[in-house]
Amino acid sequence: MKNIRVLVANRPRLMRELVLATVGDQPDIEIVGEIQDEMDIEDAIATTRPDFLIVALEKLNRLSVICDLVLQNHPQLKVIAIAPDRNSTMFYWASLEIKSHRIEASEDGVLETIRKASETAEKIQ
Amino acid sequence: MGQNISVCILSDNRLFRESLGRILTKRSDCEIAFSHGVSEIACEEPIDWNADVIVLDSVEFLIRNGSLWKPRKESCDRIKVLLVAMDEDEQLFLRAVRAGALGFILKDASALDVIAAVRCVARGEAVCPPRFCKFLFDFIAAQTIELPDRSVRLQLSLTRREQQLVPMIGRGLTNKEIANQLNLSEQTIKNHVHRILHKIGVENRLGIVAAVHELPN
Repeated sequence: MKNIRVLVANRPRLMRELVLATVGDQPDIEIVGEIQDEMDIEDAIATTRPDFLIVALEKLNRLSVICDLVLQNHPQLKVIAIAPDRNSTMFYWASLEIKSHRIEASEDGVLETIRKASETAEKIQ
Repeated sequence: MGQNISVCILSDNRLFRESLGRILTKRSDCEIAFSHGVSEIACEEPIDWNADVIVLDSVEFLIRNGSLWKPRKESCDRIKVLLVAMDEDEQLFLRAVRAGALGFILKDASALDVIAAVRCVARGEAVCPPRFCKFLFDFIAAQTIELPDRSVRLQLSLTRREQQLVPMIGRGLTNKEIANQLNLSEQTIKNHVHRILHKIGVENRLGIVAAVHELPN
């Protein structure tokens, strides 16, 4: 059953499609939206109400700015930020005060983070 | 194609390697032979990757090590490398081609574009982003068509590179424009122009053009 809602907001396109191929293949994860322009993130969150936002941008400094803005408005949202040209992936969950927590930049790393965070969120509720 | 295309993925981005591998193995004609981070590979002797196509995201790695790679089949004279570039950089593209890449694709390509490119490169066909084709055409044209008459070199004692610069100077190109076309630094062009001025014995670029035109055929 697909019960984890994920919004993918990645640029460059290739990285977005590769992330979609990984996450979209999972039986328990639903891709609720896919956007290319970070300016559309707020609207997309309001429309799709995701549990997770997976975001990758070309410029690393822009990535952290976007994450901070999104988390200010949506502290319950879990965010996975991928640096496309580096082997680094970060996890944010503002309501639990998790910020810039480095996770394994791999398929397993991303999927495990999504599932563990979802379990934790369910327990909290 | 009868046999599967065996693909080797070399990238320091593990997520990229794994996701691309996942997409490729879903195709009935592709299989992953090897997947590894480039910074963990030390190339010191000829390497047989045992793959039809190498997908790589580091042009630096190709430049440093490409000459050590062995084609899979003896009939191939070129390693079938598909470079996935993170930067839209024409000079990077040229460096990749010079280093032996047969395919070049940009980060804004789709996953389907990458699969199509892998198939093309496996067939021995070159893959080039359309927006770089014009650049490639211009570059080749500058290399070959613009060489002046052989007498220019003989009578003025110009080197081949200096000889190549003469018609470009005649067209009014700046040092920077010439540098861009020839993939050289502006300072190198400046040095070449200085030497041409000295050899011909003129004071400025107009003098170079005039001197060449005054030569008997």
